[in-house]
Amino acid sequence: MKTTNPILVLMRCVTAALCLFAITQPALAQDAAKAPRKDLALKGDAVCTRCHGVDDEYPVLAIGQTKHGTVADKRTPTCTSCHGSSETHINRPAGVTERPKPTIVFNKKGSTQPEAQNQACLTCHQGGKRTHWQTSLHASRDTTCVSCHQVHTGHDKVRDKKDQAQVCYTCHKEQRAQNQRPSRHPIPEGKVTCSDCHNPHGSAGTKNMVRDSVNETCYTCHMEKRGPFVRSHQPVQEDCTICHNPHGTTTPNLLKARPPFLCQECHEPTGHRGNPGAFTTGAPTGTTASNLLARGCVNCHTNIHGTNNPTSASGGRSLRR
Amino acid sequence: MNKHARLTLKITAIAAAVAAACGPAWAAEDDDVKALTKPQSNIEFGIGYTSNDSKRFGQYNGFNQDGGYGLLGGNLIKRDDETGTWMSLSGSNIGLDTQQLRFEHNRQGDWGYYLEYDETPRFNPYTVNTGLSGIGSPVQTINGVGRRNVDLDTVRETITLGFSKIMDGGLDFQARFRNEEKDGSRQWGQGGAPVNFLTEPINQTTSQLDLVLGYTGQKLQLTGGYYGTMFNNHNAFLSIPGSPVFTQMALPPGSQSHQLHLAGGYNFSDTTRGNFKVAYTRQTQTDQFFSSPPQLNTRTDLGGKVNTTLLQAGITARPLPKLTLLGNFRYDDRDDQTTIAQYVAAGPLTDGNNEPRSVRTTAGKAEASYALPDNMRFIGGIDFAEIRRNTSPVRIVSYRAKTDETTYRGELRRSISETLTGSVGYLYSVRDGTPFITTTNLNGTPGSNLIAPIHLADRVRNKIRITANWQVTEPLSLQFRLDDSHDNYAQRASSTLGPQNGTTRTYAVDASYAFDEKWQASAWYSRDEINYDQLQRGLANPYQVKISNVGDAFGLGVRGKPYSWLDVGADLSYQDITEENRQQALAGAATEVIPDIATKLTRAKLYANYMVKKNVTLRGTYIYDRYNSNDWTWNRWTYSDGTTVNAAPIQEAHFFVLAVNYKF
Repeated sequence: MKTTNPILVLMRCVTAALCLFAITQPALAQDAAKAPRKDLALKGDAVCTRCHGVDDEYPVLAIGQTKHGTVADKRTPTCTSCHGSSETHINRPAGVTERPKPTIVFNKKGSTQPEAQNQACLTCHQGGKRTHWQTSLHASRDTTCVSCHQVHTGHDKVRDKKDQAQVCYTCHKEQRAQNQRPSRHPIPEGKVTCSDCHNPHGSAGTKNMVRDSVNETCYTCHMEKRGPFVRSHQPVQEDCTICHNPHGTTTPNLLKARPPFLCQECHEPTGHRGNPGAFTTGAPTGTTASNLLARGCVNCHTNIHGTNNPTSASGGRSLRR
Repeated sequence: MNKHARLTLKITAIAAAVAAACGPAWAAEDDDVKALTKPQSNIEFGIGYTSNDSKRFGQYNGFNQDGGYGLLGGNLIKRDDETGTWMSLSGSNIGLDTQQLRFEHNRQGDWGYYLEYDETPRFNPYTVNTGLSGIGSPVQTINGVGRRNVDLDTVRETITLGFSKIMDGGLDFQARFRNEEKDGSRQWGQGGAPVNFLTEPINQTTSQLDLVLGYTGQKLQLTGGYYGTMFNNHNAFLSIPGSPVFTQMALPPGSQSHQLHLAGGYNFSDTTRGNFKVAYTRQTQTDQFFSSPPQLNTRTDLGGKVNTTLLQAGITARPLPKLTLLGNFRYDDRDDQTTIAQYVAAGPLTDGNNEPRSVRTTAGKAEASYALPDNMRFIGGIDFAEIRRNTSPVRIVSYRAKTDETTYRGELRRSISETLTGSVGYLYSVRDGTPFITTTNLNGTPGSNLIAPIHLADRVRNKIRITANWQVTEPLSLQFRLDDSHDNYAQRASSTLGPQNGTTRTYAVDASYAFDEKWQASAWYSRDEINYDQLQRGLANPYQVKISNVGDAFGLGVRGKPYSWLDVGADLSYQDITEENRQQALAGAATEVIPDIATKLTRAKLYANYMVKKNVTLRGTYIYDRYNSNDWTWNRWTYSDGTTVNAAPIQEAHFFVLAVNYKF
C-alpha cells in the first residue's frame, strides 16, 4: 500500500531542504557518510533500510510496530532471517542491469516456491498450533503464510476478528455467500470468526477443526447439546452438520432444509411422519397440521437435541418434553 | 521499482541529510522513525444513530432500536523497548451490548497474561404477541397475563484469563480459562395437541480450562496437556402449571469432560516430517433428575459416561524433488458407556430404555503430488472413512451398523505464467456399508423399513472444481471459481422412498482494479445452488419433494485517497435468495402448493476518514441495511394459546456514525 501520510510529505520537504543544505556543506556530509548506519526496526536492518523505507514499493518499517520488531526479545528475526542472505540483491553484481531479487521472496508470483516461503516462517513457528501444518489441506495446495498474513504492518488483517473472514473469503467463495444468509453466526459483527472453529494451520481433527471433531468444536459454545441424554437423537451425537450448515442458511437455526422435509430425510413414513408439507391457517389442531409453519416438526419435538426427562410418560421418547 | 517509489526520498537519506545538517535535527528524525516503528495507540469516540427499528440489522450488533448510541473504543499500547515488555488495553463498543475489553501484559519471549471480557447478544428477529407469563424464569403460565408484544434475546458474557511462560530448553507453558454466562430467553414451545408457546429460560454457565506444556526443538515439537470443560444449567426444568400438554419440560443437563492430550511433530529430514496426536476424554453427565414421578427405576441421575479416544498420525515426504507424498490416519472412538435402564414404559416402538450412542470413525488419506513439465502439478489422492455406530434393539428409524466411504480425487494445477494460474479437480466417492438392520417392533412384528437415512444411505458423489487466478494487467486481476457436486443416493431394497439425489454448485467471479495509486475498485458475483430430491409417503400415497435454494449475490467496493488527508470508500452487497419446496403427489390426493420464499438482502456502506491533524482523524460512516422477504413461516401461524409471532417482511435501517480517532 502506498502511503502519502502528511508526516511523510513533511519529511520529504524537510529532507529535500536538508539534502540541499548537506550538499553545500561537504565537510559535514563527509562526516555523515563515515557514520555507521542505524538499525531502524529490526536487528541489523541498516543494510536493507538504506533502500527500503516506509514509502518504498515494499514498505517495511512498520514491522517495528509488531512482535517481530520487539528486538529486546532475542528470538526476533533480522531481515535476512526471513529473506535469506540475499547477497546479490544487497550488492548488485557488476554488469547486471536489474537488481536480483532477495533469496526468498514472499508473494504468489515470486520465484521462491511456496514450501520454501513457508519454511522460512516455520523455522521459528513450527510448534504449538502449527504442528500439523504440513499435513493440512492448505499446505498441500500451496497456500503460503503470506497468502493470509501481512508481516510488515502493525495491523495483520487475518488476526483481527472483524477483518479475518474477508481474508478467508479470498478463496472460500461459497462461505462468503453463506455467511450473508438470514440465519448465520455473527461473523460480520466480528463476534465469531473463522478461526474460532477452524485452525487454518492444520489440526488432528477433520476439516481443520480447532477441537478433535466437528461436534467437540460446536460444543465449545453449544455445550448444552452434548448430553448424553436419557433420550438422545442419533445424528446429534454423530455430527451436527448432518442437519446444520454452520456457515449460514435460509432456514432458521442454520438448518440445511425446512422441516418436515429435513426430518423426512431420515424418518420413516409411519404415522404423521411422512405427511406432505401442509398449511393450516389459524390454530393447529394436532401434530399433523401445519407441519411447514412456525418451527415445523420442532413445534412439538422441542427437545430435538435430546432430553434428560426421566419420567415414564408420553412425549419423553419422542423428544417432546 | 515504480515511479512513485523512485521519486521517494528514503528514510535513510533523511538520516544522512539530517546528520550532515545539524545535531538537533537528529532528534526530529528519531521521532519520525519512532512514529513509524513503534506501536501506536488510539482512542476513538463518537456517536452512532439508527434511524428506525430493525431487528434484522440489530440481531447481533445491538443497534436494533432507533435512536442514538455513544461509541467508545480504542487501543492503548505501551512497549518498553529495553525489556520488550508490552502492556495494552483495548476495547470496542464500550458500554454497549456488544462491548469487548482486553488487558494484556507480557514480556515478549518470557511471560505474559491477559484478561478479556466480551459480550455477544442475540436479539430474536421476531416480535412475539403472547399471554405467557414468567418469561425468563423457570416457571411460566400459559395465558397468565393478557397478550402483549415481547422481544426475546440472549446474551453471552465471556471472561477469558490467559497466562503464558516461556522457559529455557525450548519449553513453554500456556493456561487459558474461559467462563461464559449465557442468559435470556429463547423461543420454545410444547406440543402434541394443543401446540402452545413457551420460552426456554436460559441461565447457563460454560467453563473451559486449557493447560498446555509445549516443547519446540529444531526437529521435535511437542504439546501436551489438559482440557477440561464444565457445563452447568442453573435451570433444571421448566414448570408450566396448568398446561394441558406437559406441566414439566426438561432443560439441558449439566455435564463435564476431562481430556488429556499429547501432540507433536518430528522432522525426520529436511523433506520428511511426521505428526501425531493422542487424546483421551472422559465426559460425564450426572445431573440430578428433576422430581417428576412416575419413574420406572430408582436412579437419581443418568450416570452418563462417554469415553473418547483419538489417535492421529500423519506424514509428509518428498522422496524426489518433484514428488511429495502425504499420508494421514485418524481413529476417533466415542464410546458411550452410559448405564442402560428403563425410563419409559415399553411399547411397540420402544423397550423404554435409554439409548447410548457410540460412534467410531476410522479414516485414512494418501496423497501424491508430482511436478510435471510446463509448470504443471498433479495431485492424486484416496480418502477412506469407516464409521461404526451402535444401535438399540428397538428403533423407529432405519439403521446400519457401519458405513464406508472411499474417495478418489485428482487435481491438475498449472502456473501458465507468472500472471495466470489455475486448477482443475475431480472427486469421485462411493459410500456403502453393512446391510440395513431390519427394524422390528418390540412384539416382533415388522417395523417400517422404507427409508435409507441421508447420512447412512449408499451414495455416489461426483464433484468437479475449477479455479483460475489471472493478473490480466498490472492494475486488473480476475479470479474464477466453479464447484459442481452431484450426489446420487440408493434406496432400501424394498422401497423407492427416501433421498434420491442432490446437487450443489457455486460459481464465483471476482475482479479488482487499481485505477492508480489513489483509487481501487473491486467487484464480485457468486451464485450458489442447492438442489435436492426425495420421495416420501403420507398415509398410503407417495409424493415427491424437490427442494431448491439458489442465491445470487454480488458486491462492489471502491477505495480512494483523493488527498493525503482524506480516505473514502463505498461498499455495496446484494443477495437474492430463492427457496423452493416443490411437492407433487405421485398418487392419490394432490399435495399443497408451497409458495417460494424469496429473500433479498441489501447492504450499502459509505465512509470517509478526514485527517484533521496528523494524529486526529474524523470518521464518518453511513450504512444502509434492507431485509425483504416473503417468508410465510410465522405469519400464517397462530399457537393454540393464541400467541402469534410477527416477522416484519421489510426491515430497513439507516445507521450513521460520526467519530473522532486520536492516535498517540
